[in-house]
Amino acid sequence: MLKYIFKRTFYIIPSLILVAFLVFFLIHLIPGDPAHVMLGDSGTEEDVAALRKSMGLDRPLHTQFILWIGKVGRGDLGVSIYDKRPISQSIRERFPVTLTLTTLAMIISLLLALPSGVLAAVYNNTRIDYLFMLVTIFGVSIPGFWLGLMGLLLFSLHLGWFPAVGFVSIEEDFFQGLRYMILPSITLGLYMAAVVARMARSSMLEVIRLEYVTHARAKGLTEWKVIAKHALKNAFGPTLTTIGIQYGMLLGGAVVIETVFSLPGLGKYLMVAIFGRDYPVVQGCILFMSITYMLINLIVDILYVYFDPQIEYQ
Amino acid sequence: MAWKRFMEHRIGMIGLTVILFNLFLAFAAPWIATQDPLKIEPKNIASPPSKANFFGTDGLGRDIFSRVIYGSRISLIVSLLSVLAAMVPGVILGSMAGYFGRWVDIIIMRFMDAVMSFPAILLAIGIIAVRGGSLYNVVIALSVVYTPVFYRITRGSVLSLKEKAFVEAAMASGNTPSTIIARHILPNCMAPIIVQITVSLAYAIIAEASLSFLGLGAPPPAPSWGNILSDARDFMMDAPWMTVFPGIAITLSVVGFNMFGDALRDVLDPRLK
Repeated sequence: MLKYIFKRTFYIIPSLILVAFLVFFLIHLIPGDPAHVMLGDSGTEEDVAALRKSMGLDRPLHTQFILWIGKVGRGDLGVSIYDKRPISQSIRERFPVTLTLTTLAMIISLLLALPSGVLAAVYNNTRIDYLFMLVTIFGVSIPGFWLGLMGLLLFSLHLGWFPAVGFVSIEEDFFQGLRYMILPSITLGLYMAAVVARMARSSMLEVIRLEYVTHARAKGLTEWKVIAKHALKNAFGPTLTTIGIQYGMLLGGAVVIETVFSLPGLGKYLMVAIFGRDYPVVQGCILFMSITYMLINLIVDILYVYFDPQIEYQ
Repeated sequence: MAWKRFMEHRIGMIGLTVILFNLFLAFAAPWIATQDPLKIEPKNIASPPSKANFFGTDGLGRDIFSRVIYGSRISLIVSLLSVLAAMVPGVILGSMAGYFGRWVDIIIMRFMDAVMSFPAILLAIGIIAVRGGSLYNVVIALSVVYTPVFYRITRGSVLSLKEKAFVEAAMASGNTPSTIIARHILPNCMAPIIVQITVSLAYAIIAEASLSFLGLGAPPPAPSWGNILSDARDFMMDAPWMTVFPGIAITLSVVGFNMFGDALRDVLDPRLK
């Protein structure tokens, strides 16, 4: 088992390097000279030459990549062209907002998805199941950003339950901070809730039909015990993988939701950088979020072994 | 056979009806729209729904009903093109990797894994960030994001079909790999690919709307659903109708594809149910 964990962790390295290369290469997809584009019309020839030199854009591609990845490996993502601050520091300041948002969204979605998915499977082909299917199909179809706008409209502007503008961080004032986070997290989490709930339902349905569950019933266990003790653990494996993959959707969705609710997280930082043509920041944000996503999936894969004893981990 | 089972699938038929309705709106937009979706009317700014403007007007006095109707064109064209542009390379690379295995598989797989290591919409945002916001770039970005999905499905199906007797027979009779893949293997793995197409279309509609909403899609005057919603943000308090209708349009068209996709999965691939 330990060996599997070690191997799985080791396997992530080539992927990390390839992802880093793709992010590095992004800047070379800019039509024209990146330094020119970044400085816009205001930059003089000297400014452009200086930027090109400081970003190493005047060197051959492979040298640039090696230099860049060496810096990234030491946690240095360069400086922002706009405010000249180190990007890794700005990311460190903003990431807690995005992490709180995605974590809350995940908690909310699991709380909704797991019980309802199991319930729908237990009551398969009854009205409860049909209602569940209808609700979840709308859940995966409503665009998150529109749901957010509607939530703002109803709960913040009309009912006044949640603040509509401004932001208080959760570290400053926990309860006040939470009020700013609830609506965005629910909005972000509902899509994932629907996806995970459908997955939970179908993997539960598969397990319920298996012989060992019938056996557990035949032993005279109560239905509740059969579901909770025997079926649930085995149905959780595939659902867990979905949860890992869905975390990527949450990170991507956070970019949109932070824009809707004006939350000062990584997504907002990325969007401002895009419109300011601050490409080092764009690179830094995308790289950081992708690595976070890869690490989450690594953890999920390792947890998977615990839930599915059949998987090989030699 | 499959078609008959599909006809009996109520959810699937609802989905199909919604899709056909959506296609009809897109084709017949010039006849259905009551006004020019780009026409600015300074005297008629942010007016509520009425007989003249079914969905009201926006901040520039443009008719939201007509903009929403024309928006279905952008939404459908972008999603169809990007799914097509993802499916073709995905299926080709997937069948090559599945059929030849070994180093072909390893090289392609590594690359696809790397693309899949990015949160999907984030990669699309990154590509558009450097290439600039336009419908063409949205199609490129979304096709890059969705290619690995088709690749994985095809590769998996090809791997399992390769061991089947009829494929071995085709190999033994001296057919070239491309003939075997095109004639014998691909026709047998169409079911999961077709299901994936409908599901991807649903995703692509949401993705296109989200990108336009962020200002990374079709440039402003274009009546895309995301753009209409992005314009509506400044008028949320006074003119909520601007926000309500385009969102309903997006949701309905996505629901259509999702219902259709679910039904196709039930009918074509009962194992996945």
